Amino acid sequence: MFKKMKETEETFAQVAGKQLLILTLLSFTGLAGLMIFLSWASNLFSDNNQRVGAIDLDSKTITLLLGSEPPQLDSTRTTDSVSIMILGHVMEGLLRYDENNNIVAGVAEEWNIHDNGATFWLRDDARWSDGKPVTARDFVFAWKTALKPETASEYSFILYPIKNAEAINTGSMNIEELGVKAIDDFTLEVTFERPLAYFEELVAFPTYNPIREDFFNSTSGRYGADAIELIYNGPFMMSVWVHGAHVKLDKNPYYWDNERIKINSIDMPYMTSDAATTINLFRDGKIAMIGALGSEQLDTALRERWKLLRTSDGGSWFTVFNFKDDKITSNWNLRKALQLSSDSSELVNKIIKLPGYIPSESLFPVWLKGTNGSFRQEHPATKIKPNLELAKQYLKKAKEELGIEGNISLTILVDDSPGSSKQAEYFQNLYSTKLSIDVKIDKQIFKQRLAKMRAGDFDIALYGWGPDFNDPLTFGELFASWNPNNNGSFFNEEYDKYVRISQTSLNKEERMQAFAKQQEILINEVALIPNYERGVVYVKDRRLEGLVRRVVGPDPDFTNVFINEAL
Amino acid sequence: MTNIVENLTPLDFKRVSKKKKTTSISRPSLSYWEDAWIRLMSNKRSLVSLSIIIFLIFFTLLGPIIWNVDPSGQDLDQLSSPPGADRGAILVEAYMPWDGLSITKNNSSEGLKDFYDLGATEYINVEGFPSTQYVRLSWNKIIGASGYRIYRNKFDPGSDNSLGLPMADILTAEEISFEDRLNLEPGEYWYSIAALDSLGRESNQYKKIAVRVSRAISIPEAIEKGIITQTSQVAIGDTIYLKFHPLGTDYLGRDMLSRLMHGARVSLFIGVLAPIFFVILGVFYGSIAGFIGGKVDQFLMRFADFVVALPFLLFMILFKIAFGIGPGESGVIPMLLALVLLSWPATARLVRGQILQIRGEGYILASQLLGAKTYFLILRHMIPNTIGVILVTLTFAIPSVIFVEAFLSFIGMGVVPPTPSWGSMCNEGLQTMLNHPHEIIFPASLISITVLAFNLLGDGLRDALDAKMRSKE
Repeated sequence: MFKKMKETEETFAQVAGKQLLILTLLSFTGLAGLMIFLSWASNLFSDNNQRVGAIDLDSKTITLLLGSEPPQLDSTRTTDSVSIMILGHVMEGLLRYDENNNIVAGVAEEWNIHDNGATFWLRDDARWSDGKPVTARDFVFAWKTALKPETASEYSFILYPIKNAEAINTGSMNIEELGVKAIDDFTLEVTFERPLAYFEELVAFPTYNPIREDFFNSTSGRYGADAIELIYNGPFMMSVWVHGAHVKLDKNPYYWDNERIKINSIDMPYMTSDAATTINLFRDGKIAMIGALGSEQLDTALRERWKLLRTSDGGSWFTVFNFKDDKITSNWNLRKALQLSSDSSELVNKIIKLPGYIPSESLFPVWLKGTNGSFRQEHPATKIKPNLELAKQYLKKAKEELGIEGNISLTILVDDSPGSSKQAEYFQNLYSTKLSIDVKIDKQIFKQRLAKMRAGDFDIALYGWGPDFNDPLTFGELFASWNPNNNGSFFNEEYDKYVRISQTSLNKEERMQAFAKQQEILINEVALIPNYERGVVYVKDRRLEGLVRRVVGPDPDFTNVFINEAL
Repeated sequence: MTNIVENLTPLDFKRVSKKKKTTSISRPSLSYWEDAWIRLMSNKRSLVSLSIIIFLIFFTLLGPIIWNVDPSGQDLDQLSSPPGADRGAILVEAYMPWDGLSITKNNSSEGLKDFYDLGATEYINVEGFPSTQYVRLSWNKIIGASGYRIYRNKFDPGSDNSLGLPMADILTAEEISFEDRLNLEPGEYWYSIAALDSLGRESNQYKKIAVRVSRAISIPEAIEKGIITQTSQVAIGDTIYLKFHPLGTDYLGRDMLSRLMHGARVSLFIGVLAPIFFVILGVFYGSIAGFIGGKVDQFLMRFADFVVALPFLLFMILFKIAFGIGPGESGVIPMLLALVLLSWPATARLVRGQILQIRGEGYILASQLLGAKTYFLILRHMIPNTIGVILVTLTFAIPSVIFVEAFLSFIGMGVVPPTPSWGSMCNEGLQTMLNHPHEIIFPASLISITVLAFNLLGDGLRDALDAKMRSKE
């Protein structure tokens, strides 16, 4: 009897094993079959065969990938980096950045900036893509359009240094009062609201691009919405724009400096931000460049033995607090406790894991220029060393002041990208294990996060700021009490005073001193906890040369690119 | 002819004695459940599935008690470590910031060279002990250079000069050292140093060095993590063992086993509770409709059709808002509610059909004629005859609900961090899939195994409970 039992048991195990084996085999063959079928089917319907590789020598075309669809290309309303990148190729302002990131002549041949204004003399051979000349009136029209309250341009503030611009933008003054005048077709005169040391840098920003009035009116409100709803004065013009799928830029035959442009077209037939797809496209030689690799793709890149390059994107990333009275983060002791328990080098080295990222100590990134050398070398930021004991003392004090008995609870606002979720989870654990603070993560899509920040609906938020122009003011202004992007309503009278000085002073040394003061106040008041300066690791086709990566301005810039046929 | 008996007295009557069994039954009588159980047990697939489910219940309920590890505790020394990774770490001094090495600027007029004239450094030294805490390098100054670029690779740069990750640019020739702390893992690294000219162009020549990095932990860190105690006798250079993670850790160094166990709680909580509730609701609704019939039935079933048409995701979001569930709070309860309120019509239809069919059967009519009351009819005839269908629906509903939960957590609608659930773990594992596959394989296979087990069990139950198959063996 016993023997028999054992026998049945064995058979049972055998049967079960066999069944499992058959099931596994079947599912594997099924899957394999499905894959073969699908790849065959996808080949049937795709036009991959017609597409050339990353670089086509005959037609001098480079093929690239676009991370996302530009929302629209009206330069008065544009805000995102993809649009700015495309606009940098198809449009040209009065001034532009050259391959060494210096300001050089664009449409303006010569210019003169003095204490209360500027004069630009335009070149007479600058042409629109229909052959008509670019005139001073096109600039006047564009700037006025951007400032009209009904345009609701998010970047209108960048025009505020022009006389009366702010009043016009808020609707309290007539548009004709704007301090800009076209003396004749090729002379543009600008009057400043106040003395200004960095106007050259501003003029290179896309909001300052020209728009031709008759063309703008002929689009009946659809300017910049499609390839045919735009007229170009830059080195390239857009020949294809299939929304969400394909953008193609071709050389503009009317561009005045055509000899500088060595390639005929930039084709962007892929639009995705998926890291795996991007890697595969580059590996298969279908695109000439990956703009930024994630930390999970680095190992793949090393295995493929690609030549990796790095650059900084100029952005400064930090934790901001809400200073509204009803928020507990308005308590200095609590902020101090959080500051003393944060370690930006651990964040960068263990969580972000990307070379090029720099653990930061200040709102002002290290690449900013100072009086002679680097701003941060001339004015080093006070280093805050993590100190848990001290942090706990401050936390105790904060609890007493706030009258909180149990654990403090905070909400951290982040967007829903995998990277920021990861950082939020890191901070959540950091603050809960070290300071016993309960942290909730408020994960929102990018737009919703911005809206919540504007509304002041957060305790702390992970936030980043990219520079609009090459001057420390682009960061310093951020915490001025009147700045709409000062989402936490940080208010410090002394800080505002120093921002005013840095805005109006023409003395370089005095301005830098003012920035140093701002840096000091921000650290002492714990207006923010600096996290990192964002870097980029990227990879490009070896034949692609002359590519320019920029901290400010359109990035990446392909206008100087040429194809090295020898490689 | 008939023999008429007259004058009967009670004595004439005798109680019929119980006879012995006239015929013996060939096998013992089996109740419905006994029979179903035997047939279920003889079905190998169901048996395996049943044992898997029992194991899962233990895994979920007892697992976290036995393996008592915080599922959201981050072990930053062991990020994304696969199961069975080496845990040995050497004790080192506490990390002290390093100022680096630099030489005083030589004012002699040595001209700056262009990149094609720049040579490589003669040597690269490793300063201190290279460990996961830091790798410190120094080298000799290159005459004419304006700076250096430091690369790190996991593979030998080899003949095609693939130097790997550009770690840093040093923009003065006088600074001749570099400290690397970026995500160091135990193993071998190749560092290369190339000179830069004044325009930032890189020299064609470079010097490389292979550095073997050991896992290390500093004493204060080890005390903080509870690996050693303040009083224990350890010295610098001793090897200690970091915390043990049987299934490895995820991208934030959290214990996978503990996360899987805690994640199972959420997945099975929803997966079991929601079907039980909506099946009960559905049975109740369906039997009323089926039993009463007529216009009531018509009305009830049209309402059920209406509920089927309601979009689940939308309702879940609405419930979330209606419940006042703010950002960063768990959406598990609204998910449960939305599932219960929107998933019952399928069961209701099934049960209604069954009841309608049974209602017309002859034995019900007979029972009614014999004077059976409604409650007797329902309890004795209707429910026992539908219970098979109900149980089968239940077992098939569980896997589909587990899938829904996994999907919702995958897209971030369910649990919130740091609470794990199998779905959210899959989502996190997806991002590290190529380099650390264990982070997605474990939760994904658990979902698959659970769903498969419940489905196979449901299949077996259907066969076993089907009364019509009873005598077919």
